[in-house]
Amino acid sequence: MITSPTIDDLLEGLILALDADIMPSLGDSPKAQASAQMMQSLLQGIRQLLPEYEACLVREHNEMNAALRSAAAELRGIDAPEADRMRARADGIASEPDLPAPLEKETIRAAHRLRSAAVRDCMYDLDVLQRDGIAEADASLDVLRAMLTPHYLNYMSTFPIQGGMLGRG
Amino acid sequence: MEEQLAAAMYAVFKESDGVEISGLKALPGGFSRETFMFDAAVRSGSDTTDLPMILRKDPPASVAILETSRQVEHDLLEALRATTGIPVSRSFCAEMDPAVFGERAMLIERMPGNGRTSDLFNDGPDRDQVDDVVRHLCEILVELHTSNIEAIDPDGALRDPRGVGIDPATWDSYMDTTFEYYIDTYPSVEYDPVLLTMLDSFLWLRRNKPRPMPLSIVHGDFNPANFLYADGRVTALIDWENTRIGDPREDLGWMVLMDVLSNTQVMAHPVADGGFLAYYNQLRGLDITPEELGYFTLFGTANIAVPVNAALARRTRKEQTEFLHLYMLQSSAPALMSFLTLLGYPGVPA
Repeated sequence: MITSPTIDDLLEGLILALDADIMPSLGDSPKAQASAQMMQSLLQGIRQLLPEYEACLVREHNEMNAALRSAAAELRGIDAPEADRMRARADGIASEPDLPAPLEKETIRAAHRLRSAAVRDCMYDLDVLQRDGIAEADASLDVLRAMLTPHYLNYMSTFPIQGGMLGRG
Repeated sequence: MEEQLAAAMYAVFKESDGVEISGLKALPGGFSRETFMFDAAVRSGSDTTDLPMILRKDPPASVAILETSRQVEHDLLEALRATTGIPVSRSFCAEMDPAVFGERAMLIERMPGNGRTSDLFNDGPDRDQVDDVVRHLCEILVELHTSNIEAIDPDGALRDPRGVGIDPATWDSYMDTTFEYYIDTYPSVEYDPVLLTMLDSFLWLRRNKPRPMPLSIVHGDFNPANFLYADGRVTALIDWENTRIGDPREDLGWMVLMDVLSNTQVMAHPVADGGFLAYYNQLRGLDITPEELGYFTLFGTANIAVPVNAALARRTRKEQTEFLHLYMLQSSAPALMSFLTLLGYPGVPA
């Protein structure tokens, strides 16, 4: 999976392109100008939402768990079907374990880059061994290639590449 | 801009009474040059000659993908017109003073014909012409590859047009110095580990050098979007900025990849002659094999991949903010899959 440019870089690129390539050509159409500005605003919102999104969902999930249990506890001694349902929720869904906090995206990215650099350096080393006629190096390179294949297949199926030739004949 | 265009055209047609410019508009398409169309009316007495024209302009240096010279391209087009029957635009002038058009530029004839070559394929409206057009395209490529290098490149401008140390003195020196260029450049273009397979391919190319073949002038971007056609004939081969001396199999290999990426089937035609490679072999009396074609698909792709990914790397490092370079992330991604296939990665679907 690609780590650079980041998703934030891509979104920022779209905001800049709207400014540089689209808005100057919209002429004096106030509606089109306003729409372009709305797109920029929405894209900026997504940029700010994305880094927080998963951590926020996890934090809110865990806080809801705790609150559901506390809210039911406040009804201790109350004899009513509504209170029973509150206690059932506290003992049921709210008693499930909290979700683990997701790793920071930058931490994951840095760790990924470190291993990628190691794979790259192995390719250089294997190339020397292969040119020296060491047959085992072929098998070793195949191990790395077999590991990389699903990574590329996943990237290609996740990133929409079909539109990559727009603007050409 | 119209004023500068009129002045540039008048400098070419000094004997005329004046040149008027109309219909100037930007064209989409080329990834590396800014292209505009316009019409020039050259007045001489009561006569007016209308010339359909193209302005090809360098992008600002900071966002250039290929650092090539418009003067070299101008000289090349005029040499091709003078010494071959290859249909190319007449080049009227190269303006190397960036003050005139904002950047260096050239003024060329706008050739007739349909540039939407996808019309020829996939049940497109011109599918009945495809065999004739591709047969002619193949004949043109053969003419280019068998043309006299000294006649087309008397000053040696096409020997190493990027100035990266390529030595085409012999086939071996050409290949070896090109491997060095690819491999030495890799660290500066590696914007992301997703390019690992490109490094793998560069190293593999060096380890698996094929049999030699006489070097020739190669188009350098021979792909389904770089020709125009009409009535079953190619009316122009366009976009000559990456032309250089190289192995002729590079043009064939690059077409193989671009055929896949463009969802066209140039290589499958002319059907009656067994497809593009078979017809090329027949015309040249060669026996280029599918394996060699695979090798030069990687080799030819590397030639374009280096500057494209260098531009992407500069954009990723935010040295510039050109949107097109970000978009190239999408354009170049499918090429990575071709690397996997051609290198025989385990587990790649057929």
